Amino acid sequence: MIEVKNAVKKFDGFAALDGATLSVPAGSVYGLVGPNGAGKSTVIRHLTGIYRQDEGTVRLGGEDVWENAALKARIAAIPDDWYYFMQSTVRDMMRFYRGFYPAFSMERYEKLKEVFQIDEKRAIRRLSKGMQKQAAFWLALSCMPDYLILDEPVDGLDPVMRRQVWSLVMGDVSQRGTTVLVSSHNLRELEDVCDHVGIMDRGRVLLERSLAQLQDNMVKLQVVFKDGVNEVPPELPVLHASRVGRIHTLIMRMNAEEATARVSAYDPLLVDAVPLTLEEIFIYELGGADYAVKDIVL
Amino acid sequence: MQSRTSFFNITLFRKNLTRFWPLWGMASFLGCLVPLAALLQLMHGGWDIRPLEVTAAYYSVLAYAAPIISLLYAVLCAMLVWSYLYNTRSVGLMHTLPIRREGLFFTSFLSGMAMLLIPYAVTGGLCVLISLAYGGFEPVGLLVTVLGVLGESFFYFASATLVAFVVGNIFALPALYFLLHFLAVLLDWLLSTFASGFLFGLNGSYSGAAECLSPTVYLIGKLRVDNTYEEVFVKDAFSRYGGYTDSVLSEVRLENAWVIGVYALAGVVFLALAYALYRRRRSESAGDVVAVGWMKPLFRFGIAALAALLGGRALYALIWEQFQDGNYYDVLPMAVCMIVAGVIGYYAASMLLAKSLRVFKGSWKGLALVAAGCVLLCCTLRFDVLGIAARVPEISEVKEVELYTAGNTYTFYPGEEDGLLEQVRTLHKAIAADADYVQNRYWPYAVDTASGEEQVYTYEYIRLIYTLSNGLTVERYYSVPLTRERMDTPGTYDYLLDRLVNSEAMKAKRLHVGDSRYTVSGGWLYSNRGNGGVDLSSREAAQVLEALGKDAAAGAWGTYDWFSTDDGGAYALDFELTFTRPSVYGGHNTDWISIILRPGMDNTVACLLDLGLVTEDQLVTYAELYPEDYGYEAEYNAAALSGRIPAGAEYAYEDPSAGVGVIGGADGPTEIFTAGVTY
Repeated sequence: MIEVKNAVKKFDGFAALDGATLSVPAGSVYGLVGPNGAGKSTVIRHLTGIYRQDEGTVRLGGEDVWENAALKARIAAIPDDWYYFMQSTVRDMMRFYRGFYPAFSMERYEKLKEVFQIDEKRAIRRLSKGMQKQAAFWLALSCMPDYLILDEPVDGLDPVMRRQVWSLVMGDVSQRGTTVLVSSHNLRELEDVCDHVGIMDRGRVLLERSLAQLQDNMVKLQVVFKDGVNEVPPELPVLHASRVGRIHTLIMRMNAEEATARVSAYDPLLVDAVPLTLEEIFIYELGGADYAVKDIVL
Repeated sequence: MQSRTSFFNITLFRKNLTRFWPLWGMASFLGCLVPLAALLQLMHGGWDIRPLEVTAAYYSVLAYAAPIISLLYAVLCAMLVWSYLYNTRSVGLMHTLPIRREGLFFTSFLSGMAMLLIPYAVTGGLCVLISLAYGGFEPVGLLVTVLGVLGESFFYFASATLVAFVVGNIFALPALYFLLHFLAVLLDWLLSTFASGFLFGLNGSYSGAAECLSPTVYLIGKLRVDNTYEEVFVKDAFSRYGGYTDSVLSEVRLENAWVIGVYALAGVVFLALAYALYRRRRSESAGDVVAVGWMKPLFRFGIAALAALLGGRALYALIWEQFQDGNYYDVLPMAVCMIVAGVIGYYAASMLLAKSLRVFKGSWKGLALVAAGCVLLCCTLRFDVLGIAARVPEISEVKEVELYTAGNTYTFYPGEEDGLLEQVRTLHKAIAADADYVQNRYWPYAVDTASGEEQVYTYEYIRLIYTLSNGLTVERYYSVPLTRERMDTPGTYDYLLDRLVNSEAMKAKRLHVGDSRYTVSGGWLYSNRGNGGVDLSSREAAQVLEALGKDAAAGAWGTYDWFSTDDGGAYALDFELTFTRPSVYGGHNTDWISIILRPGMDNTVACLLDLGLVTEDQLVTYAELYPEDYGYEAEYNAAALSGRIPAGAEYAYEDPSAGVGVIGGADGPTEIFTAGVTY
């Protein structure tokens, strides 16, 4: 289990984390989403032991991460900007990782060689960005981690390789119970792989739920009111409303049954509940936190 | 479960060495060239080498070359092994690895040390092999050298490591490293020269007070290789004398080797500090010029202070010095120049720290501090608030006092000659009290003595160095005018100086009579009339010194005439006696006196004749030997210079024996010029 409680991290007075709290159940895939500058990468750097929080706790499996080499031996991380030594090949980096991670599996490394099909004797800096990302996955998965921390992991990978990588990760989750925390802006993709989601903004986790709960907690209703009713009744707790012809689209923070019942009280001609995508949830949740697409005329 | 502490990781160690092999590989290659050159020389010359000579060579490398090589090479190694700290990506990788900070720290430190020592080991190993092959192996010298190189390397790399954890930018590392290594010397020089622009008696020379804080300078100055040679007679059947005398190295000592040990201990402290900084270091400081928060103001104001001192003086020299009144700085223009330079330094440092050009907002407090500091420093020095110029150390404070005046250096020791020391202090106080008179009274240096005009004043250079019991020194330098009138006026420094220098005690002191610290070791005599120079043995020098003492006692030698003009009455001999005395730094110091031999110094002249160092023929005065420079010809030259001889006239002929000179042009003699004879 990954647990961050009231974590505060300040850079020259600016609070990159301002009491962030999140909890990732063991063996789950947790998607950390949020706008740019929300503090996602800062959380990840705390989880991997790069940063030390000013306040609060950062724990994995009940242990503090900071300066905990035994725990870090069970964590593999792929940052957005993965670092490799300038002249190194994948094989060099493999030897390096193998020297640090006791659980490093040569057997898995050899197996993954067939998956990634990268010349392991070629300098990494000569590889394309996508291939470098593949190399990072190759090495990280060979470390046999209990915790996998990923920051924009599939950025730069082609669609086939994306599926391949996610399939490998999901295999680890199902077979080894690996706990995965992934930060990404690709919400469509997260929707497919995550079972838990946390939304961050301004150094705080605004909400975190299982994806099912999240989708259950917010609903999109398409409503056609009776003749003479052109506006949405103000009594309805609507997060966002839009209208195309006579069809009103209402976003409400409640489950579908409750929302349908509330709207039905106005005797509409049509009420239809549609599930929200993660992207829509993200947009509407953050819209409430004053982060929305603004209509700006240039 | 917290992990157990591991101080070393072989993977990281190996990775560091394999990643950075070009550096230590190139250094090893360059190092190999030295023994290779030595080997070629030995093979070509067919020589053999003696163990002591090899030891002397090792010690020389340890004392003079290793500090400089280690200084430069250590920072390169540090830049490589600690480079991961200065990049957010690399620091991310290294700190994600399952190894604690102490493991990273000590493994990287050891790999850096290995990179530093491999070239030394390769070079040293080859040297040892060559010395073994040529019979020059000497284990003790080798061991001392190995330990010394280890100590020096450790110190320099530890200091580079400490700096590496202070900065957050790879380019800031060498900049701060070299600045800190030479800061004490730089500040000493800056402050000394700056203070001498305000204070009477300070000449701006480097004092060396805190030289130990500049290790390279201190090590090179302090470590000494003391080689002792013995003269041996080598039999040679082919020589007409049956052999020849050769100097053979009999002993080699490395003096003050303990200094390396002290620096190595300082290296341990630096290492501990560096580790403490690493424990507290924030990975996010990668890229910052200064990575330690509380050091940022120190850096900002330190740069401002250096800029004010260095840049302020440069600005002053450029803008105001030509309008300066007198020999000392004008306080207001200097303060303004310092403030301008200090402010530039302050903003430059702020921009480096902030990595932004927008640092002006809210900076007025810092600027006010810089300006106040500049004004305070200028005023403190201008008005000598600390009493530096007037300071004359008490006898109880000093260990030794050195006075240079009248062409001689005198050393006084408390407890042995307190009377003379008190006279010296009184003289010093009188000069310091007369600062306004000395600074504001100007005479031209040139005096037309050849015209017969009596010289009424002269300038005398006086140097006073008080070595205090705490090891520090107080040095004062004065160029003071002396007048005949003041020399007869009790209480003036002119009077006090004359009384001191021409006292019987000082005459004896000049010859080091009764001073067991001094040993007359030889001398040198050069006759301007043929035969060139001769070296005096210590025995001959001792005999001449004894004779000179008798002449001094008889009043024939030793009274210093402050206003003397060169009348040519001295013998045309250049004569020096050399003394040695043990140095406080080990080895020996040399002192010498230059003796002007005049007719009337019967004892000395007789002694020189007895010893065969001069002949009767060589006992001629300068006036006799060079009449054109003295007497009537000198008068003529002076007259020609002053225009008293008609234009176009030229010197054509001289006859010293007749005392007549003929002045003429191309059309024949126009005037007969005589000296003492009237036709």
